[in-house]
Amino acid sequence: MTAPLTPGLAARIAAIVGFAVLIQISVVSEVPVFGVNVDLSPLLVVFIGLLCGAVMGAAAGFAIGLLVDLTLLQTLGVSSLIFTVVGYWAGRLREVRDPQAALTPLLVGAAGTVIASSGYSLVEFLLGVDAPVSLQLLRQIVLGMVVNAIVAPAVWALVRRALQGSLPEDPRRRRRRRAYTTGGLSPLSRA
Amino acid sequence: MYDKTVRRRRAVLALLVVLSLILLTAYFGEAPGGRLHSVQRGFLTVISPIQDGANKALKPVRDLVGWIGDTVHAKGERDQLRKQVEKLRREVIAERAEKQAYAELRTLYGLDHRLSISDYRPVTATVIAKSPNLWYSIVTIDRGEADGIHVNDPVINAEGLVGKVTLAAADGAYVSLITDSSVGISARIGTSGAAGILQPKVGDPSDLLLQYLPSNTPAPKGALVVTSGTLSSRDDSLYPPDIPIGEVTSVNSESAFRSVNVHPLANLHNLDVVQVLTATRHSTPANLARLARSLPPGVGANSPTGETLASVGGGG
Repeated sequence: MTAPLTPGLAARIAAIVGFAVLIQISVVSEVPVFGVNVDLSPLLVVFIGLLCGAVMGAAAGFAIGLLVDLTLLQTLGVSSLIFTVVGYWAGRLREVRDPQAALTPLLVGAAGTVIASSGYSLVEFLLGVDAPVSLQLLRQIVLGMVVNAIVAPAVWALVRRALQGSLPEDPRRRRRRRAYTTGGLSPLSRA
Repeated sequence: MYDKTVRRRRAVLALLVVLSLILLTAYFGEAPGGRLHSVQRGFLTVISPIQDGANKALKPVRDLVGWIGDTVHAKGERDQLRKQVEKLRREVIAERAEKQAYAELRTLYGLDHRLSISDYRPVTATVIAKSPNLWYSIVTIDRGEADGIHVNDPVINAEGLVGKVTLAAADGAYVSLITDSSVGISARIGTSGAAGILQPKVGDPSDLLLQYLPSNTPAPKGALVVTSGTLSSRDDSLYPPDIPIGEVTSVNSESAFRSVNVHPLANLHNLDVVQVLTATRHSTPANLARLARSLPPGVGANSPTGETLASVGGGG
């Protein structure tokens, strides 16, 4: 299910995106971990998709990509294209599977990072950037995935907390309520 | 109802993908002065004060994290530096005598006019943002056209060459680092004087490649690579000569030319204060740069790269 776009939700997403991009370029990009930098943008896109659904995920991905390309003097449209697809994928994952495991943010964050960096590399190669396909590039993608996976649970908690008030219902809470109403698990039914 | 939702969802995805492709195609196809590039430039003007503020406010956080990382690496660096100091001490003693003789010869032949960094009117700037992307090594600085900064101005710091200005707005500018795939520098190995083109190894931000060296060029490990003070193309930046760039780490022998791997001297991961060399109009460096660009490629060049000779004397 896709969350309806309300002014409150749009404002919250816009605030998170602006804040995250500012933090990314001012602090996070200056601090290498294992020789790579944490990249908050793909995490943000997948988590918005995971919380709000495919349409919002794709739209947020497009907006974040555009902002990143504008801010960092990158080829306009590349990040938008990649993040639109990543956001849509995360949203569809929520709509089809509705994953509830505790490791979901970590795994989805890691997968989103790998898809984004591989997609970025592919588009750059297609655009004719003269770069050898090297082990170094593979290493950067893998290390980028690892450091993003490490910070993913914290980013997930922050994004979920920031969007919570504007979302129609939390999938976890919805499932719990469904279990209670169908009987057996509710403490009230035992009494 | 379900079909309508699915159709709407797919339509949104298709619309955004098509929009991205249109943007990408238009941006990639247009000249650097085109409309989309202008939008990017305007955006920089708007956000550079915000970035500047955020950079100042968040500096303590960055310093704290950086301090932890630096402490971890400090011990290894200390041992390495001790060995380096020993080696350099021996070299300094030998070179002092040579320098004395060299200065005497220069005076004797009337070649004592040398340009120094101060002739390039250096403008000190603070780095306020950095790209996290593997494909782009770009930083944003808090000085722009209002301070006399122009596109292609060389950027240095205390350790050596950092990069060049690729876009300048009123109050800020983008600097492409020497590890950015768009940057190519005419450089030479300090000990042998052999010149080539230094380009980054994309995907490995810590490594540069000095290419097109003659196959018999001696390139000892640890030799200093410096700017040659020549242009490799008309769009290139005329870096002052003898600015240190990096050290030779290994040599690759290819068929006709030799290339060497170079490790940058400047710590590009942790840039804070840089200097932009803004040769003002009608100054000697600016006139020399204009002259070098007006020459056809290969004129006056003895190197196999066919670069335009625009040496401006010993700088630094």
